[in-house]
Amino acid sequence: MIELIATAESVAQGKALIDCGIDTLYIGEDFYGLRLPYSFSLEEIEELTTYAHQANKEVCVAVNALFHQDRIEKVAPYLKALEAIKIDRVTVGDPGVIRILKKEAPTLKFVYDAQILVTSANQINFWVNRGAVGAVLAREVTYEELQIIRPQVQVPIEMLVYGATCIHQSKRPLVENYFHFIEEEEDTSKERGLFISEPKKEDTHYSIYEDINGTHIFADNDINLMPELDKLINNDFAQWKLEGIYTKGDTFVAIVQLFVQAKEAFEAGKWTPALMEILNQQLIELHPAERGLDEGFFVKNPGDVK
Amino acid sequence: MRTITKKPEVLAPAGTLEKLKTAIHYGADAVYIGGDAYGLRSRAGNFSFDEMREGVAFAKERHAKVYVAANMVTHEGDADGAGEFFRTLRDIGIHAVIVSDPALIEICATESPGLPIHLSTQASATNYETLEFWREEGLERVVLAREVGMEEVQAIREKTSVEIEAFIHGAMCISYSGRCVLSNHMSQRDANRGGCSQSCRWKYDLFDMPYAGEHRSLVGGETEEPFSMSAVDMSMIHHIPELVENGIDSLKIEGRMKSIHYVSTVSNVYRQAIDTYCADPDNYVFNQEWEDELWKVAQRELSTGFYYGVPTEDEQLFGKRRKIPVYGFIGQVLSYDEETQIATIQQRNNFGVGDEVEFYGPGFTHFTQTVDVLWNEDEEVIDRAPNAMMIVKTKVAAPVKPFDMMRKKK
Repeated sequence: MIELIATAESVAQGKALIDCGIDTLYIGEDFYGLRLPYSFSLEEIEELTTYAHQANKEVCVAVNALFHQDRIEKVAPYLKALEAIKIDRVTVGDPGVIRILKKEAPTLKFVYDAQILVTSANQINFWVNRGAVGAVLAREVTYEELQIIRPQVQVPIEMLVYGATCIHQSKRPLVENYFHFIEEEEDTSKERGLFISEPKKEDTHYSIYEDINGTHIFADNDINLMPELDKLINNDFAQWKLEGIYTKGDTFVAIVQLFVQAKEAFEAGKWTPALMEILNQQLIELHPAERGLDEGFFVKNPGDVK
Repeated sequence: MRTITKKPEVLAPAGTLEKLKTAIHYGADAVYIGGDAYGLRSRAGNFSFDEMREGVAFAKERHAKVYVAANMVTHEGDADGAGEFFRTLRDIGIHAVIVSDPALIEICATESPGLPIHLSTQASATNYETLEFWREEGLERVVLAREVGMEEVQAIREKTSVEIEAFIHGAMCISYSGRCVLSNHMSQRDANRGGCSQSCRWKYDLFDMPYAGEHRSLVGGETEEPFSMSAVDMSMIHHIPELVENGIDSLKIEGRMKSIHYVSTVSNVYRQAIDTYCADPDNYVFNQEWEDELWKVAQRELSTGFYYGVPTEDEQLFGKRRKIPVYGFIGQVLSYDEETQIATIQQRNNFGVGDEVEFYGPGFTHFTQTVDVLWNEDEEVIDRAPNAMMIVKTKVAAPVKPFDMMRKKK
């Protein structure tokens, strides 16, 4: 069974995604979760959970921030509220949250998600042994490594198959500090659409923005693993995440639909290179023009980046 | 009179055996070093097992401790042999390992029981629940994330019994440590496996794309300053009372790549400041010479990081840099003859007759003088000491001891 997991930017889009055939909605509030397209209130999460459950779909809520003292006290009531709403699972990246979860909301399932820091089977198994029902793999892991990891792990491993991927989180307001220094007033939120490029590489375009969790920088190109889905399936990587933080509205829903078609083709045994080409071409055309696409570390060799 | 007997540990970096000995001579209670594997400083001098044995023996004689940083985030295959590695460290007498990768923590705990584990700052521990999680996992100590403020330290201290270590001096990651792979993506070098290329200190263009593909640069203003994330360094020398009173167990100095000049100076200053405070906290007076000393080995401006609020543009390296007085390390005292007042010195950088030089030593002794006579090893009068590591003799204005250092303003 392939599980398609997608982010949402509104209640309406969340419902549209459920209608179009995803399996799990990934949402949350930015006080608790990192880099979400939209910060959902508990009421909105409840509305979408009810809607998802009626359609026999699931909801995963992001609780994967790094919590400082001022916020950690609010985590227990939040987890209890999520438990009461009967969401299906949360993502967690701060071990303190696991401790709270076990005491305060023991029926809530969690997936370990510290992105960059999940790079081996033994790391995943460490968290599984402490109750995790799955893990989100770092995007800096190569295909060759994936093949070694998978047989050692008994739980689902989530892979990003489409969208932007974060490569840096600072607690400092790095962009605001810069604009203050040059004495300019600027919006630094993700809606502003700011990029940085490397020295002497003018055509690079790393997205950068700030929110209450600090400054976030994303990889030069967004991930697209449509051409590699058969390899994922053959190696039992069947949990596919679609990240819509920089792909808005109907465009994101349309791209998600392409992956729904791919999933259905796989499940019907009808996946072909020709179909892949068609879906991939449609994806490239739909993808925002100012953003690039590539297959990231999936196509690198383990020795390329040491 | 109130005194404080439970002093925090001064923890200094030691990239080599020489730096380890220097740090301990200059007052460090503990040093942290790297092994041949599993660490984050592939370019820092790392210790062989034999060097570790010598370092541990040296430290034990002086009641100091040696920790080994093994804070890599492993990929498949990287943790092979780690159990044997940790067992060897334990048997050598290493006091603890500093780890962030849970796979390595598990290997260490199960395959080398008895070797204490410290959670590296790479794991970004920022709240007491997280510290409690690791305490329950059996860890002895947690190094706090550099983003934790002084009030947070206080609140965390009240709610957990695990040992707390915090950075007080040196360069800082601009990201939450560990949560940065800029280097992996920009330089094909893994930041969490010892390859960090410090991409955060580069100069970037910052732009938007009002029309697809069309870059509209936003950098500049009147100063033409490019976008950068580079931060100034940290120094908590002005806040020793709060660091002690908040019950931090270990005060950590950054810099395994730094020189013995740096290691000796910084260890010396913090040793002196902490001893001064703990001896008579109620009548403590800050000594400006401590700060002046730290400036002599500073590479960048100094700040208090996140201890007293989120850093602003003033704590970033933008614009014209303040001129930092640069001192060069020129020699180390090997011996001293009280009768003749002649010191034998190993040269570390060119100096000669007429130069104004400063001698300093453990216990915060220091004095300045002009070199007025210089002999080589064969007792021949010379004008300068130009050759690396050459042995020279000179007359000194005050008594010196082996391990005392000599520096000169550049």
